[in-house]
Amino acid sequence: MAESRMGFLIDTSRCIGCRSCQVACKQWNKLEADKTANKGTYENPGDLTPNLYNRIRFIEKDDGGGVKWFFLSERCVHCGDAGCMKVCPSPGALYRTNEGFVAFNKEKCIACKYCVSACPFNVPRYGADEKVSKCHLCSDRIGVGMAPACAKACPTQTLQYGPRGGLIAKSKASKKAVYGEADLSGLGVLYVLDDKPETYGLPANPAIPTSIFLWKDVVKPLGILGFWGSVAAVLFHYVTIGPKKLEGERSENGGVRHD
Amino acid sequence: MTRYVERFNTGERVLHWFVTMTFFTQILSGIGLFSRLFVGYFDLFGGGQGAILVHKYAGVLFLASSLLLFLNHRKEISVLDDDDRFWLSRLGGYLSRGHFEENNGKFNAGQKLFGMFMGASTVFLGITGLIIWWPLAFPRGIVQISLLIHGLIFVLFFMLVILHVYLATIGNPGTLDGMIWGRVTRLWAKKHHPKWYKERAGQEKTT
Amino acid sequence: MTNHWIDVKNADVVLIMGANPAENHPVAFRWILKAKDSGGKIIVVDPRFTRSAAKADLYAPLRSGTDIAFLGGMINYILQNRLYFEPSVKKYTNASYLVNPDYKGPGELPGLFAGYDPKKRSYDPKAWAFQKDADDKVRKDPTLADPHCVFQLMKKHYSRYTPEMVSNITGTPKDVLLKVYETYASTGKPDRAGTSLYAMGWTQHTVGTQNIRAMAIIQLLLGNMGVAGGGVNALRGESNVQGSTDHGLLFHILPGYLPVPSADLKDLSAYIEKHTPKTKDPMSANWWGNRNKYIASYLKAIYGAKATKENDFGYAWLPKIDPGMNASWIMLFDNMARGKYKGFFAWGQNPACSGTNAGKVRKALGTLEWMVTVNLFDNETASFWKGPGMDPAKVKTEVFFLPAAASFEKEGSITNSGRWAQWRTAAVKPLGQSRPDSEIMNDLFYRIKALYAKEGGAYPDPIMNLAWGYAFKRADGTAKTVDIHAVAREINGFFLADVEDKPKPGQPRPKEKKLLGKKGELAAGFAQLQADGATSCGNWIYCQSYNEKGNMMARRVKKDPTGLGLFSEWAWAWPVNRRIIYNRASVDLDGKPFNPKKAVIYWNPTAVLPDGKFGKWEGDVPDGPWPPMSNEKEGKKPYIMRADGVAALFGPGLKEGPFPEHYEPLECPIRENLLSKQRINPAAKMFHEGGLPDDVFASSDTRYPYVATTYRVTEHWQTGVLSRNVPWLLELQPRQFVEISRELAKEKNIRNGDTVEVSSARGKVEAVAVVTPRLRPFKVAGATVHQVGMPWCFGWFTPGVGDAANLLTPTVGDANTMIPETKAFMVNIKSKG
Repeated sequence: MAESRMGFLIDTSRCIGCRSCQVACKQWNKLEADKTANKGTYENPGDLTPNLYNRIRFIEKDDGGGVKWFFLSERCVHCGDAGCMKVCPSPGALYRTNEGFVAFNKEKCIACKYCVSACPFNVPRYGADEKVSKCHLCSDRIGVGMAPACAKACPTQTLQYGPRGGLIAKSKASKKAVYGEADLSGLGVLYVLDDKPETYGLPANPAIPTSIFLWKDVVKPLGILGFWGSVAAVLFHYVTIGPKKLEGERSENGGVRHD
Repeated sequence: MTRYVERFNTGERVLHWFVTMTFFTQILSGIGLFSRLFVGYFDLFGGGQGAILVHKYAGVLFLASSLLLFLNHRKEISVLDDDDRFWLSRLGGYLSRGHFEENNGKFNAGQKLFGMFMGASTVFLGITGLIIWWPLAFPRGIVQISLLIHGLIFVLFFMLVILHVYLATIGNPGTLDGMIWGRVTRLWAKKHHPKWYKERAGQEKTT
Repeated sequence: MTNHWIDVKNADVVLIMGANPAENHPVAFRWILKAKDSGGKIIVVDPRFTRSAAKADLYAPLRSGTDIAFLGGMINYILQNRLYFEPSVKKYTNASYLVNPDYKGPGELPGLFAGYDPKKRSYDPKAWAFQKDADDKVRKDPTLADPHCVFQLMKKHYSRYTPEMVSNITGTPKDVLLKVYETYASTGKPDRAGTSLYAMGWTQHTVGTQNIRAMAIIQLLLGNMGVAGGGVNALRGESNVQGSTDHGLLFHILPGYLPVPSADLKDLSAYIEKHTPKTKDPMSANWWGNRNKYIASYLKAIYGAKATKENDFGYAWLPKIDPGMNASWIMLFDNMARGKYKGFFAWGQNPACSGTNAGKVRKALGTLEWMVTVNLFDNETASFWKGPGMDPAKVKTEVFFLPAAASFEKEGSITNSGRWAQWRTAAVKPLGQSRPDSEIMNDLFYRIKALYAKEGGAYPDPIMNLAWGYAFKRADGTAKTVDIHAVAREINGFFLADVEDKPKPGQPRPKEKKLLGKKGELAAGFAQLQADGATSCGNWIYCQSYNEKGNMMARRVKKDPTGLGLFSEWAWAWPVNRRIIYNRASVDLDGKPFNPKKAVIYWNPTAVLPDGKFGKWEGDVPDGPWPPMSNEKEGKKPYIMRADGVAALFGPGLKEGPFPEHYEPLECPIRENLLSKQRINPAAKMFHEGGLPDDVFASSDTRYPYVATTYRVTEHWQTGVLSRNVPWLLELQPRQFVEISRELAKEKNIRNGDTVEVSSARGKVEAVAVVTPRLRPFKVAGATVHQVGMPWCFGWFTPGVGDAANLLTPTVGDANTMIPETKAFMVNIKSKG
């Protein structure tokens, strides 16, 4: 991908779980509130929904007599090699923006929901219209030079938007390890984590699911090969060995009656 | 005594062609979902969403009819005898121009295996199709594997269908008659399915 | 705040105690993180592991209501280990003052200071007086060795607060306690600064004022006052609570912290005499010596031309309170419950939710003939008559609802916690019939005045004589809309006559008369205000905010020459744009900063002044222009608002004694105060004696075994009247909850997410149990004490969210301010499945 690729850094060490990002996202994207219930945690809604592109996960961890409380902005991480785009059968429904992020176009979405299953991070969601939605990093804002709504609202600079290389360099300069630098051809959304990725529910080595890989990268090309191969094979058979003709017909053609 | 023997009755023929129709509907509506290369086929259904809609409901019809077809012929195709094994060992004689003496019943071993494959595939396509239909109702891993299996079986299915069409038409002249008119020539029957022909002939005599 | 928000970034240690800025001041939390970025350490002390604690380097749990024990232990640690900053303690505090030898502290008396009258539940502060010499000057011991000097008394007082004792009271593990003490006391060095951030977690206790006093003592000992990254900083809970307090929100203060006159002060001179401190010390600036100018200018602003020298500038028309009368929130609703009021304006408030012992408040509202509610949305107060347990047919109160505009819908200033007054313009027009508060008040005024004009009435003068010139007028002279700039100008103040710039005593009179200000000119600063009625000023501390140079509050210049984040040309801070107050305490006697790397001010002796003299202050606006203390003729001591010019380690006149002493909350889990025989604040007003049945309390009572506290959450604001009407916010926090430890949950067979009932002696509330490792049981006095906590942002008016946590809280308040004790009380909890 081009060096001009933009990036989005989530520095969880700065996140205070205020969730202004969650609300700013809803406001900018004009998303309805979900009806929720308190189920014994601050975390709400309990999962991403078609109306929730970004949510803060609240993770409590026992820590040798003490406790730790981690906050993670869960959202589409805009993989460089995106499972969703790989499986999407409708050109333009999921597309890469000039900045390098994965946006969606509901008008082109055909509601197949393949991306829902193909995402390594389990992010895309669909609602009553069966069409998929997810964080598009405010493609309609960054396209005109504004920061995504969530980053704009973030009071602690947890969410930072800028040239991807620069964000990585800055984090490394302050001795912070970056999650997602190289995975899946580099994630567009990078994390700085205070603990192991698994603590946050992030895969240690994110990858496109094996079966999705086999489907799209093995079965699909081999299938197309197999289709044309079969056609070729039968034609080849026809012209080389030829059909199983009936002797009787042959003799019939030769004028012999065979009753 | 006519030149012909009856091979498939009207019901069987109608069912076969119904399966064929739904199958090709599935191919046309699903091919775009299989790969973006075939996105143009969506236009046949007024777009991708239409194609998916057709694929889902035609899929149900295909599932039902194909299963019925399988069940109809279940007894005829489910047992492989020595003649079948012989047939298989020579690959039905299709790989040479030389004379191949075969002693098939109503269906040869290839047809039997094809039928069994069709039955099993239909079941798998149906199950995986339903899972893909409602991806949230199942664990993600199951849906992912379903997508793989659905695609894989479709590929194999389609390849075999190409073979089936070839062998049933220009590959074996006279075969198609049985599925169109319901009757085949005695010559054809003696040649391809002598055991069956003898049984038929025996029955004709007793009646 | 003595300092301001941005200044927090300069701190080496940030002590967050009695506050939860990550949740309640999330926007400002960035400055705390900036301190952390620069290597600063963040300490959070809280009963709960909060979102602030999640970002802290060091977290110490403590049982609600034991802050003085915790801080007293820190004072003891600092004194025992000689970690205090001696130059500051010796010169800038009253550490060296000698106290009356008869003085006794709670170590000697059973938990009391000398001079206590148990019948009145109050002290005679004369028992705490300083020793005076023949000239009426306080006797001092500069070596701090005299056993009667403040320093030694303080050492003795806090020697009882050993780490073991403190740990036993607070439940804070001893090792954690010592780690906090060590970390924070490290700021006693001149090149290090520690800041204290507090909020309602400190104030809403029967010992609230003393909580803050205890921290002030620590900051004075460590030399953390007046310095960058230091100070005692109240985090205000609303964007303009500082501004409204400055402008006389509370019952006992007029705008600019002028005391409300009491009825026994018959005329202005009696008022001035009583409220003007005096000093004979030439090095004390004693700024409150200017009280006469500020009250006279205030009266001129209120009554305009009607205020004349002859009529005491209308002093008689000012509302008075009875001597010793308390008209605080709790008292107002206590009186209301007793049927003493006819009507009530609930303006921008929701007492049926926010009031302590909300059940009592709701009943009290039913005694009214009428109530006017001014708010953005209907709420538990406006609709109290149809609330739970109410029979609308029986409630006689007539309720009026006036829709008010939101802050974004009107122009004006807001003053943030850091005293920065910032001007805002209206972003959008008010919705529907809603109107800015000023417009509603304006209408109200003209209508009331018209009624008085028509009908006379008992005492029309205070209304009829009010100067009221804020309205843009229609052609026929009637008021159209309020010109908020006119209000700002009146607050700033202006000259009512030409005032001559009189030379200072001892200086020659210039040949030509020089004017300080011309009639009609806006005042440039409060030093220009006059006592003779020649100036008008609505609030002296805001004088300069809107002057002849323009609206200073609307300034938006992003210049920061010192790098300390003073941003002196961004908006305007009271007083006189001083960003860090007490800044004269940040320099030594020669005016050299104790920490030259982060100099707030410094004395530049070579600077040439217009009058040919040498020397001036550079940096922030200093606490007065006088040279530093080494200049014995003109130099002044740093604490200019104190009559003696120094900070008070020993008693500034609070109700419960000269040193903060630990007392248990009214409702506590233990039978005895481990420190003394006196369990609760001996000076706090008790309501249960002769009180109403609602004033019941239950201390160390097995029916209510768990310590409870209340708090806010990021997702809702105050009682939630605004935020509960935003579906996006309700989505985040949809229902009343109670946070409990896993240990308590196990004991009570409560699963996470269960519905439970939390009850106190006063009421019960249904909530969802949030079972969490972020709360842990405390070991207190050898026993296990469980703590639970609830937010107070919910109320029945929003369907499905549950009712107010304040239904549980008691009727009792701080002995000085009467702020209710809603941060420590006792409850029970049971599962409802």
